[in-house]
Amino acid sequence: MRDIREVINKAILGGTLFALDKVLNALAAVAPGFKEELRKKNVTVQMKLRDNSHGQWLEFRDGVVTGKMGIYEADVEMIFENLEVANNVATIFRDQMEFVNAAKTGSLVLNGPDDAAMWFSALLLKFFAADVLYYKNYGAKMGSGVTRYVTGTNGGPVFVYVKNDKIIRVTPVEFDKDDPAPWTITAKGRKFSPPRRMTATPYALGWKSMVYSPNRVLYPMKRVDFDPNGERNYQNRGISGYERISWEEALDIVSREIVRVRREHGPGAIFHSSGSHHTWGNIGYYLSGTKRFFDCLGATNVALNPDSWEGFAWGAMHHYGGSARYGGCEPYSTVEDCMQNATMIVFWSSDPESTAGVYAAQEGTVRRQWIKDLGMKVVHIDPYYNATAAFVGGRWIAPRPATDAAMAIAIANVWMNEGTYDKDYVAKRTFGFDKWEDYVLGRTDGVPKTPEWQEPITGVPARTVRALAQEWARNKTYLACGGITSFGSAGRTAYGTEWARAMVCLNFMQGVGKPGTNFGGLQYGTPLDTRFWFPGYADGGFSGDYMSTGAGVSLYNRMPQSPAVNSETQLIPRLRIPEAIMDKKAESNHLGVYSVASQFSKVQYPAPGHEPVKMYYKYGGSHIGTQPASNRFAQMYRCDSLEIVVNQAIWMEGETKFADIILPACTNFERWDIGEASSSGGYIEKAYLQNNWRVIFIQHKCIEPLGESKSDFEIFQAIANKLGLWQVFSEGNSEYDWVKRYFEATDLPKKISWHKLLKKGYYVVPPLPEDRRDPLAFNWFAEDRKKDTPELTPLPSEFYGQYGYGLQTPSGKFEFEAQTLKRFDANDKDRLPICTYIPSWEGREAKDLYEKYPLQMISPHAKYSFHTMGDGKDSNINDIEEHRIKVDGYYYWIFRMNPRDAAARKLKRGDLVEVFNDRGSVVCYLELTERVPAGIVHSYESSANYDPLGEPGHSTDRGGCVNNLTPSRFITKNAHGLAVNSCLVEVRKWDGKVKYIGDLRADSY
Amino acid sequence: MNKWHIVVDLEKCVGCYNCLMACKDEFVDNDWPPYTRKQQKHDDKWINPVRHERGCAPRTDVCFVTKLCQHCENAPCAKAAPGAVTKRPDGVVLLDVYKAKGNPDLVKACPFGAIQWNEELKVAQKCTMCAHLLDGGWQEPRCVQACPIRALSVVNCSDEDWEALSNRENLESLYPGSHRPKVRYKNLYRYNKCFIAGAAAYDDHGTETAATNARATIKKDGVMLETMYVDFLGEFKFDKLPPDSGVYTIEVDMPGFKKAVQEVELGKDSPDIGVMMLERD
Repeated sequence: MRDIREVINKAILGGTLFALDKVLNALAAVAPGFKEELRKKNVTVQMKLRDNSHGQWLEFRDGVVTGKMGIYEADVEMIFENLEVANNVATIFRDQMEFVNAAKTGSLVLNGPDDAAMWFSALLLKFFAADVLYYKNYGAKMGSGVTRYVTGTNGGPVFVYVKNDKIIRVTPVEFDKDDPAPWTITAKGRKFSPPRRMTATPYALGWKSMVYSPNRVLYPMKRVDFDPNGERNYQNRGISGYERISWEEALDIVSREIVRVRREHGPGAIFHSSGSHHTWGNIGYYLSGTKRFFDCLGATNVALNPDSWEGFAWGAMHHYGGSARYGGCEPYSTVEDCMQNATMIVFWSSDPESTAGVYAAQEGTVRRQWIKDLGMKVVHIDPYYNATAAFVGGRWIAPRPATDAAMAIAIANVWMNEGTYDKDYVAKRTFGFDKWEDYVLGRTDGVPKTPEWQEPITGVPARTVRALAQEWARNKTYLACGGITSFGSAGRTAYGTEWARAMVCLNFMQGVGKPGTNFGGLQYGTPLDTRFWFPGYADGGFSGDYMSTGAGVSLYNRMPQSPAVNSETQLIPRLRIPEAIMDKKAESNHLGVYSVASQFSKVQYPAPGHEPVKMYYKYGGSHIGTQPASNRFAQMYRCDSLEIVVNQAIWMEGETKFADIILPACTNFERWDIGEASSSGGYIEKAYLQNNWRVIFIQHKCIEPLGESKSDFEIFQAIANKLGLWQVFSEGNSEYDWVKRYFEATDLPKKISWHKLLKKGYYVVPPLPEDRRDPLAFNWFAEDRKKDTPELTPLPSEFYGQYGYGLQTPSGKFEFEAQTLKRFDANDKDRLPICTYIPSWEGREAKDLYEKYPLQMISPHAKYSFHTMGDGKDSNINDIEEHRIKVDGYYYWIFRMNPRDAAARKLKRGDLVEVFNDRGSVVCYLELTERVPAGIVHSYESSANYDPLGEPGHSTDRGGCVNNLTPSRFITKNAHGLAVNSCLVEVRKWDGKVKYIGDLRADSY
Repeated sequence: MNKWHIVVDLEKCVGCYNCLMACKDEFVDNDWPPYTRKQQKHDDKWINPVRHERGCAPRTDVCFVTKLCQHCENAPCAKAAPGAVTKRPDGVVLLDVYKAKGNPDLVKACPFGAIQWNEELKVAQKCTMCAHLLDGGWQEPRCVQACPIRALSVVNCSDEDWEALSNRENLESLYPGSHRPKVRYKNLYRYNKCFIAGAAAYDDHGTETAATNARATIKKDGVMLETMYVDFLGEFKFDKLPPDSGVYTIEVDMPGFKKAVQEVELGKDSPDIGVMMLERD
């Protein structure tokens, strides 16, 4: 190792690259990998000063470099402005920012054919990173040839033990003696601190089996009957098999099709969408490289819907703002406040033990143990006796799906009648209470919304609701609505907007922001250091896209990079992708982050002057299995509107097999990246406050990519190269260079050197001393002070009075009567300015449908996989018998039912059953459980395995995609949100007869 | 000499199955001679949490009972197949990789089903307590290391201390017998006992109201077993009752109301006796 360093140091100390031939040959002599690199190209290079006063000519031939002084003909020219620049070249190449600046100012110019220039430039960067790239001088040596690396997953960071380029184990991260001491919360006479380690989810610990999954796509593939120059056989997508092709052929087809489609059909003819949550990292994940690549092309993008928190985005936001978080609320210091000052927690549609909040592994589990240790009163409101309820205990109340708003409104009714709410706070800090009171007490419609009123709707005894309302008001109560805060399956029901609205209305009646009254259930808002600057994956990475990622508020001043913007404005609403393709028409509302009112704007597809999209470039996780009425996607792929479908995939998941060309991507265990545990940034700012620790890590390239798979970065770079975009895409930097550049932009270098981080793999940010912890969420609002919690949002224009004062509402107060909704449409019966209960279009009130399909199915986020990530793929997750069950050699998805409903259908545990309605038919394994009351059935969403037994899109699926059954109708009319937990089904014993599913189109709005 | 033991706490288990995932991660595709050959990819589970439910909605109780080799001091497998089983001085019970090969009868040597047959390699296998790691300096086996709040925890102590700890913390054997397991269970009542749940209410001018100030008492053969105030929903739950233990009397009383009495015969299930309506004096 020492000799490598010496070679590099000699080159640097020399202060000039005009002796480059000697140092390159010297490195090649000791580093075989570098020798390989030298062998890749035969090329001549002229390095010189602009005035031709100095020059060195280099010839690279068969891995040997020869050089001579002087100016000669060459393939590539590297021109330095003057001797000073040339003498600084070592600095320039070691500091990528210097390099970019020199290139931008023209003081360093690279001329020549792309491939040769690119190779030479990359070679110089590799030369300076030789000890890492060629000698793998990183990771912790564990003895016996084992090295321990670190990487990130969406279920927590992990140690990765590798021997001989093979992963032998994946474990949670445990700290060593040099890592800091934990924070302590003193509450009710006791002290609480988290253990000195990180946790992981089962799907994080199953990663080895996913890396080595037999379902990995290891080579570029072409559908056997897809001929880009002839018959394309669209109708056979999902049916015909694949043949292996070379990377060269794959890149040729894809790049030629990109050019053809754009030339023939105009900008926007390429459509790109990502399924999220399949890998981790701030450089290589979807809001970084993918964004930059498609910005380089200009492509029709997908208009996203916040599919885990629809109700808050389209409902609650109008009462209290929070558009930057799509209607989510701030979490700061709520863990400490809850433990110190609250005596009761209401978990309402909140199961962090299953959903990990989001990304946060099992970090919250120890805090839920503290709830028990503190003896707090706990209620769980959910149609399913969820994992959090099973662990924490307390009382379980099970309203029927999509009726939660009725129960919540009845609670408000009790408080209003009994005067048990914070009247002073309501008078001073809220707006329009009387309007809501009129509705709740029945002054407007003659129907008081009492506990007795809600009983036939929700199925919850009036006595229980009244007692709950009284106890809630008697205690200082925290409301955890959703697994993090402001998420929740109840917000994914028909008019789930009204549930989310009811949640914020109830909580603000009790004085949110006063000690002991706030949002959360100890999952979010730990006392960690929020000043230490390290952004999350949604903050843009190297996308350069300052508008459509968090880069504009987070990264721009720290990691300057050439900007990128998508010049193509056409969008397709995610929930209407199939209709956009099949009917060439789609419309929805469009959720913006900048303002509350932006969600009233519409996405119209096609955009004016546009032809329909012709190329679908899919990347990441599967839409089939995660999107409602998933069969629509299978039907879409098989129509002729799409001339080419490319899927850049790690695994052969449900959706991959509908592509014409499959590009094999590697996992983030096989490439470089950098990230932080559960830190998304962007739409969930400071999501790391779900953790007990801030753990920032390098994501080592633990093993070489399997087969011929490449990192997403390298795939995009390879296509960019074909289109002459190589520097535009990456600024000439490799993935490793970007990771280093990112590291240097953050606060990390102040605390840990690059080489130490490379070795140890992670850095734990010490928690701040107790007296420097963040102010309590909303306390500034309760006390009418300027907002003092550590975030830059809302934007200045979203404060209507003094900047920094009040909520993001027109009045600056909490608005029981939402003025934004009133201004938009005061008579929108689907979403009135006040929160009301609106019966579901697909529930017990939908008489005809309910008679036909009398079981209400909920399909919450899965516990043992992260959407499709972790499921299927022959992974170890399949062996979890709460996830799938093997019957006759096939792993079936689990469907849960109350024994009474089963008895009525003569079904028993272990039966294979067909769950069906007009939208689909899915074969599942029947589990009987008292975790659901009779009449309600449960199955997790997001099977990764779509396995139609007949024609794809038109037949029974035995993979377990219960999203084949869910409605595609929007949560409320003027929205773009899903309502999958309002779903009526019937169940019968599977008789082996494949059902035919007709053509599907989106349910009206 | 100190021995390795595992405590399984049912009240700390969240049913995440990290233990199973970690076990598979360690043993699938990894050979650890001479401790064990590799595990089959799917068909073996050397550790497995099993869901157990009591009661019925909405008085449901769910827990997980994690089953693994009990590393018995008086190991039945060692008696049944003396040559093939090693009891190490540190308490870990291992199967001899060579003698377990081609010996499917070994599976029957464990009455608790902890020994499994690897059809691929034709060898009997089971949990090794990750002895290859413990011998290499690890402080915990993989299943324990992966457990979020150590519902599984290791105790490295003498036989005497293990017995003392078991008494102090009421650690129980999962299986009856004289095998003296080095894996014991805390809060096992969630698995092997029953509860009786119910609610108290009264009529408040036409409105059924939770009797949140009521007290509930459970008696057997006229002897009071437990008394408690009902919770904020006016509901009660008497737990840790042996299954099939006969008839119990539940009494509910609240000042100003007549005592309500109900008899329940306890079978294998945990019943919810519903609402007991209190009448005014």
